[in-house]
Amino acid sequence: MSIISKLTSSWAQADRAEKRLVIKYAVLTAALFLPLFWAFLAVRNLYPIAAWNVMMAGGDLERGRSYCMLRGETISGETIDVAAIDLTGALYSRNWTMVNATIDNQSFKLKSLHPQNEEMLRQLGGIANLPPGARIPDLLQAWGEIYNKREPESSPKRLKAIRLDMYRWESGRYSEYDKFIESWRKEL
Amino acid sequence: MRFFVHGLFLFDTVVTSYSALGSLPPTILRPTGVMKFLPWSFYDALQTHGGMLTLKTLMLVSLLLSTAGFLTRFSTKTSLLLVLFYQGLLRSFGHFNHDEMIAIYFLVVLAFTPCGDAFSIDNWLSRRDRTKPQRPAFAYAYPILLMQLLLAWAYFSSALIKLRVAGVKYLSPDNLPALAIFHSLDNLHDTAFRAAFWLPRVREYLPYFVALILIWELLFPLAVFFRRVRWWILGIGLVFHVSTLFLMNIFFPHQLLMYLIFINWDRLTGKQL
Repeated sequence: MSIISKLTSSWAQADRAEKRLVIKYAVLTAALFLPLFWAFLAVRNLYPIAAWNVMMAGGDLERGRSYCMLRGETISGETIDVAAIDLTGALYSRNWTMVNATIDNQSFKLKSLHPQNEEMLRQLGGIANLPPGARIPDLLQAWGEIYNKREPESSPKRLKAIRLDMYRWESGRYSEYDKFIESWRKEL
Repeated sequence: MRFFVHGLFLFDTVVTSYSALGSLPPTILRPTGVMKFLPWSFYDALQTHGGMLTLKTLMLVSLLLSTAGFLTRFSTKTSLLLVLFYQGLLRSFGHFNHDEMIAIYFLVVLAFTPCGDAFSIDNWLSRRDRTKPQRPAFAYAYPILLMQLLLAWAYFSSALIKLRVAGVKYLSPDNLPALAIFHSLDNLHDTAFRAAFWLPRVREYLPYFVALILIWELLFPLAVFFRRVRWWILGIGLVFHVSTLFLMNIFFPHQLLMYLIFINWDRLTGKQL
């Protein structure tokens, strides 16, 4: 018997308690789907209401794209690639957008600012004077400390500095992906 | 399903380092949606070793209870609230990614339906209680239908939004290779597969592939109502999500695991609903 036929036969024989259950389920369905329909129509995510707009715009070869590489400088003098997922795995698939948002100073563009960000803006005289990635050093410091905590004190793999190198793919072709833009470096 | 969905979030909580998350500075947070209602002083207290330890302990206890089905009516609701908060925190650091959203909506359904009446400690403890009222089959069948519809909506609306926003441009030969290569350039994604760089060689065939994916998304609701096509649709979904991992370094494991809602567990275990 399919789910649908089970539903219809149940309704026909429903007593008062069962009808109450039907109403409860109708409210639950509306509470879930009405916000989802709104998000769909507005094409807007408002946590926890999701519009499934994943990759809705598609890729464009002509539009340049910036990206970052996280690297560490070990005490033995090597430069190594550091995988962000190994440091803050909790963020799972969100490390790259956290970096992009921090470079773009998005935490300084909120309606309600963190008191320390408010103070920084006041000292610099407004958002126009804020350098790109004003909070990147704090993020690098946190990542560097997480990395070093996992290495023994005597390990040559411990980092003396951690940096974020930014590149841009703007060639408009499927080549020349790595034009260097800028770098943020934090001594640990 | 309760055991599975709550168990999945319990597994996530056990294997995730909350102390590393607590090391991130609250100054880079951008509270999203309902997370904006919490004051900064709360986030300052949370983004500490003690704050994260408290959150992890609460989540472990609640998810352990709800997975086992103990005090189910209460523990499924506390687990929902805690997971909702934790996932909101992650999205306040990064972006609104959709992987876990369907599983969160399943938690909502489970929190307000009798999901502890079968495979649960509550049920085992109350077996001797013969006065316990029997619920109609509808009480268990509808939540399953609702969860299937939620999953179908995710794919169906995703295709409609792409067509609304990008239109036929979405079928441009450079759409997929440009997107895939961009997601394969950095080392901030969870994986570093390089298959995307092979896509430009077959770019003239890619519009057909993208069109097929759009059609598959639009047809996904058929999996709810027609058993014959269900396994084809879910099978294509499995191939699609695995290919996005290798081509784009993007994976939706939580959403993929929610396909289990389409399995008729009663038939598998030989029980009648």
